[in-house]
Amino acid sequence: MSYPEPRLLPCGDLAVSVELADEIDREVNARVLALEYLIQQKGIAGITETLPTYRSLLVYYDPAVIGADELHATLRALVAEARPEVLPPARTVEVPCGYGGELGFELEAAAGKLGLAPEEMVRLHAGADYHVYFVGFTPGLPYMTGMPERLNIPRLENPRTKTPAGSVAIGGVQCCIYSVESPGGFWVLGRTPVRLYDPAAADPILLRAGDRVRFRPVARAEYDAIAAEVAAGQFRPRVTEAR
Amino acid sequence: MSVRVIDAGPLTTVQDLGRAGHLRVGIPPSGPVDKDAFVLANRLVGNPEGAAGLECTLTGPRLEFGDARWVAVTGAETPVTLDGAEMPRWASFPVRAGGVLKIGAARAGVRAYLAISGGLATPLVLGSRATYLRGALGGIAGRAIRRDDVLPLGAPTGHAVERRVRTERIPAYGGEPEVATILGPQADRFTPAGIAALFEGSYEMLPQSDRMGARFRGPRIEHTRGHDIISDGIPLGGIQVIGDGQPIVLLVDRQTAGGYTKIGTVCSYEVGRIGQVKPGQRLRFKHVDVAEAHAVLAARRAALSSAIA
Repeated sequence: MSYPEPRLLPCGDLAVSVELADEIDREVNARVLALEYLIQQKGIAGITETLPTYRSLLVYYDPAVIGADELHATLRALVAEARPEVLPPARTVEVPCGYGGELGFELEAAAGKLGLAPEEMVRLHAGADYHVYFVGFTPGLPYMTGMPERLNIPRLENPRTKTPAGSVAIGGVQCCIYSVESPGGFWVLGRTPVRLYDPAAADPILLRAGDRVRFRPVARAEYDAIAAEVAAGQFRPRVTEAR
Repeated sequence: MSVRVIDAGPLTTVQDLGRAGHLRVGIPPSGPVDKDAFVLANRLVGNPEGAAGLECTLTGPRLEFGDARWVAVTGAETPVTLDGAEMPRWASFPVRAGGVLKIGAARAGVRAYLAISGGLATPLVLGSRATYLRGALGGIAGRAIRRDDVLPLGAPTGHAVERRVRTERIPAYGGEPEVATILGPQADRFTPAGIAALFEGSYEMLPQSDRMGARFRGPRIEHTRGHDIISDGIPLGGIQVIGDGQPIVLLVDRQTAGGYTKIGTVCSYEVGRIGQVKPGQRLRFKHVDVAEAHAVLAARRAALSSAIA
């Protein structure tokens, strides 16, 4: 449930957080993204950058251009208009994923913990539609939900110090894809050969807030073939747009 | 049109005013931690204020110049020598082709800035030359500079003459500074005693601090109900307090989002000062409200524009 009125939380002298609710919810997140979209469309003078997360939008501003009172009034008015319908159609990005084995080195353990056969676990994970709430923490890392409840799993008790980039992992109700090698507390079910963050590319980031993601299971041979195309800069993931 | 690195120093990176506009895909701005010192270095040599220069950490580099340039060193209190002769800080001076400039170890402060007329001409990545080490982005192949790197220089555009920062405008980096801090976004997740601890205690800078965050040790800051929140955006200067009750101030290479409570946010114009506090040195957080902070910010901006004699 959204708050009746947004909370405008001070974040220093150059930013304010517009918080719409205190929960992880698709509708709330769509309103956050709608608010960001309206700010971009209207080109509000003095707003310098925005950063959406689950249920709030961090708004950076220049107080020499827009005062705090005017900013707050502008943001409150825009929140009232910020409905999911104002957003452009969402993209669906198909992410190839090699499940199990050395790529998904915790698939069997996770399946065992949930009392599922590994093949069933893959079928359930790859059968779902994922929603990207926001991208961050590390460059290009998507925060997603969409898994069937059957896959809800407590996070690892002892987080890893290193998780390979591209690892597709789950914890709680969330699914994420590690964009750079990093510590991690989610169960690694598989790995994508696609780069979510490629500092050498003209556009280094694959996924954006509001995207939908589908995982397509690939066998090791196809994984390696795609990895080679990625390395040669020739792989383009399948992207479709729909309401 | 280049500078050769003879010695790099422990952590010397190419920085400009940063990579704005990519927080929403998880890329922090980077740029100099002490922006005012960086901007003044550029102005001293006649560069646009966003020209790329070097940020040196604790000890600076030794550089050989391929052609004649003007340079200026600001920030941390370091010895500066040109071909072995001591040179002024916070002032511009010419370097001949073949000249060797050395920036030594900081006596006070942490980060020194070197501007070279024409600026560093490393490639623009997402609109900026700033180095983001964890993301391997910008600068020289996304890393700190190394011995034998050759740093390309741009053509000087400005008018280089001897300039110096007014003596009274040169900051002192010793002592126990106070940094203005605004409560929020999650001040309501701390007890009155916890908030009092933040503003009444003194906090020691820890050596694990870096461009991502400055870690402190001091009086415990008490939460009301745990330190976890639904992950949200982390502002520049955000003071994250995790389970141990100790504050971490998030800086220019910060993670863009996180799930820990933030009791307050250090004002933008104080971030550079935090970047000059040495490990083991202490500071205090001073409570201000947003209106006070905006007044001080405007005054600081005006002071910066009149800092050069």
